[in-house]
Amino acid sequence: MLKILTTLAMLLGFTTSAVADYTFVVPQKPGGGTSVWAQIVATEMEKYLDEKIIIKHIQGARDIPGFNKWHNDMRDDDKVVMVSHGGNGVSFLNEKVDYDYNEYDSVGLMNLNIIVASRKDHNPYGGKKTSFAAGSGQIPEGIAITLLKCGAGLTTEQYIDCFKRRVSWIKGMKGGQRRLAFKRGELDGTRENPAAFKKHVQPVIDKGLAGLWFHHGILQADGTHADDPNYPGIQMEDLFYAANRTKPESDLYAAYKLVKSFRDGMQKALWVAKGNPNKAKLIAALEKVATTPESIKAVQKKVGQYDWLIGKAGDAHRDTLMKLITPEALKTLVTFNNEAFGIKAVYKDTLVAQK
Amino acid sequence: MIEMIAALLGGVFYGLIIGIIPAAGATTGLIALFGFISYFVHEPYLGVIFLMAVVAASTTGDSFTAILLGIPGANSAAATMVDGFPLAQQGRAGYAISAAVTTSTVNGLIWGCLVFLLLPWYTNLILILGIPELWAFTVLALATVGFLSNKYWFRTILAIAFGIFIGLVGVNPENNEPRFTLGWFYLEDGVQIMAVAAGLFAIPELVKGLFTKTSTATGEIRKGELVAGMKAVWENRWLALRGGFIGAFIGLLPGLGGQMADWLAYGSAVAANPKEKFGNGNIKGVIGPEGANNSQKATSMITTVIFGIPGAKFAAILMSLFMYLNIELGTPDIAEDKELFTSMTFGFLGATVIVALICMFLIKPICKIASVPYKYYFPVLLALIIFTSMQYTGGWEDLAMLAIFSCLGFFCKHFMFSRPAMLIGYILADKVEGFTLQLLGIYTWETLITRPIFMVLIVCIIGILIFSITRKGRIDYA
Repeated sequence: MLKILTTLAMLLGFTTSAVADYTFVVPQKPGGGTSVWAQIVATEMEKYLDEKIIIKHIQGARDIPGFNKWHNDMRDDDKVVMVSHGGNGVSFLNEKVDYDYNEYDSVGLMNLNIIVASRKDHNPYGGKKTSFAAGSGQIPEGIAITLLKCGAGLTTEQYIDCFKRRVSWIKGMKGGQRRLAFKRGELDGTRENPAAFKKHVQPVIDKGLAGLWFHHGILQADGTHADDPNYPGIQMEDLFYAANRTKPESDLYAAYKLVKSFRDGMQKALWVAKGNPNKAKLIAALEKVATTPESIKAVQKKVGQYDWLIGKAGDAHRDTLMKLITPEALKTLVTFNNEAFGIKAVYKDTLVAQK
Repeated sequence: MIEMIAALLGGVFYGLIIGIIPAAGATTGLIALFGFISYFVHEPYLGVIFLMAVVAASTTGDSFTAILLGIPGANSAAATMVDGFPLAQQGRAGYAISAAVTTSTVNGLIWGCLVFLLLPWYTNLILILGIPELWAFTVLALATVGFLSNKYWFRTILAIAFGIFIGLVGVNPENNEPRFTLGWFYLEDGVQIMAVAAGLFAIPELVKGLFTKTSTATGEIRKGELVAGMKAVWENRWLALRGGFIGAFIGLLPGLGGQMADWLAYGSAVAANPKEKFGNGNIKGVIGPEGANNSQKATSMITTVIFGIPGAKFAAILMSLFMYLNIELGTPDIAEDKELFTSMTFGFLGATVIVALICMFLIKPICKIASVPYKYYFPVLLALIIFTSMQYTGGWEDLAMLAIFSCLGFFCKHFMFSRPAMLIGYILADKVEGFTLQLLGIYTWETLITRPIFMVLIVCIIGILIFSITRKGRIDYA
């Protein structure tokens, strides 16, 4: 019945905004990954809020304008919630943006992980160049591959030089093209969130054409990363240790830890302005979503099996992330982005000052 | 199932109306849907059914205005008009419409079945062809648009180049830096398709419709004319099927559109009947081109779905609308998405049948709709297009972009710069750039020359260039 009404609403050009109680601002166009996630979460939260939630898409370059718009013009509206994703976290570190996570309260966030696979004929530690899809969304993977292929004890400049010799950073590749190129064997490696990994990469592994390579681990409250129970034994740090008999301690590793934490640690998040009177109500609804099997199933279908960090736990998680920002890590990240990946990045000393 | 039927009927209703409205058609109808498509985000496959139904229904519906008013609902019905309108002036509108609808339906069903039922099998190609072949195929699409579709080929090349330039506005994928944005942050996410499509096509066509003088033929339907029209199709069945085949072939060539298929089919009908007069109401002049436009719509979906390379301008818009439903054509997700194929098949074939029944049984009221003066449709359509164009940010920038591209659309229309070529260039720009970067990053010349399909496509591209430079007659088409 609901589907019929949706169809009819579309046909009549009916808009639900007039009857909505809450607005979720999504910084991308309809159909994007975070947009679909927000729609699922909003649908589940509506059941427990007993109020209507509409999704407002504010599109723009690298999903920054939507977040900026909410930060500057909308966050004081008690009924407006911001939906952010990992890409916003990466932009926060090395692009000029208005938004600042320190100024918000977390309704809840999902602390996810990204899994990387490689083709069977690929040498993960040395050998010929590893081809991998480029893009600001793949920065943590690019650094991890560099660390794994170049080994321990190098300076940032040496790692940059090694990256250029050992990694083919293939530009101009979108998500679908990346998956396709990996399936066809044109790329040596690819990465996905757990749900997408099962759908797109696992079939290639099952055919014996590829294998698991590494994952980034799951950020803990103390700032370390733990192994992923969904894919145990292949955390980047463990593989590095196994290959080099030493832990990955370098400026580049600090930059890696910083950027992977900001991308995966706040992969999907809901924010309100500090002091929002509806925060408790929203948090209560999200807690229901996180504990009701039917709702858990709906959300996990999109992102895989990961826990929510709700309310104060989300704030604490954000604070943990902020502590990872050090001048060295940030400078190295900006340098590596500019010189190895060729991605325009800016160093923001204000981030270090405010943490 | 009820929801699917509701989406199907909704698409048929909307598509038929948009097809009947003079100067509208599938492209304008699809452009106007950008403002509403997000309502289907929860149920994307209902959205797919709706969109496919719009395509199928508008393609059949545009015959009405071509025959009754002497102006095509869309460019693709222009060839039908040549003999269809004189027939209507002679009081034989029912005969012409019946023949047109019957031919459209038969070819729509034949080619719809061949395309949509076998589409899952065709998608295996996506895993066989690699980046070099996709790059070559994209360039082939641009070459066919640039050199085969238009006698003003130099202007068409300029149009493609400008389309590519528009498509490259935004952020450079090599370094994440703004490119061609003139310092305007609004443009860093690229030029949005709503403004480009609405400005280039919808606005100029709507305005043109306002100033087009029509000499409405009588919409009177004589007794027995409908059956006579169907009989005429049966008597000229090979002509109808040949038209369908021509349309299907043109649809398969990436980037070419409906009007070329229709005129080729019309030309074929004329050539096959050298002793007969055309242009004064010869039913064969209706049956030939009408066979082509529905089959062309069906087959142009093959390259669109498998490679993400639009087979025609309507397909370019459709591809963007699918993106709003989180369905990215030309990716591996497609091969595994059985529900997508089911929905496309159901939408296209279901709409083809339903619209035929509606056209036959409700021919009188439809003729009345077609005869409503255009000035009543114009403000509604204009409001819809403006609303659609403001779905990106809702700000003045959206309106400014619509105004800029509308001016460009009028300019191109007046000076015969191919607007479909510009749109295809715009749509394919990121593919051309992306595949080129990928090609250069992964392959070397030594590895490329060992790939036979790549080499065949390169030979085809060179062949098209030589053929078009040496050929004299081309289709007058902008």
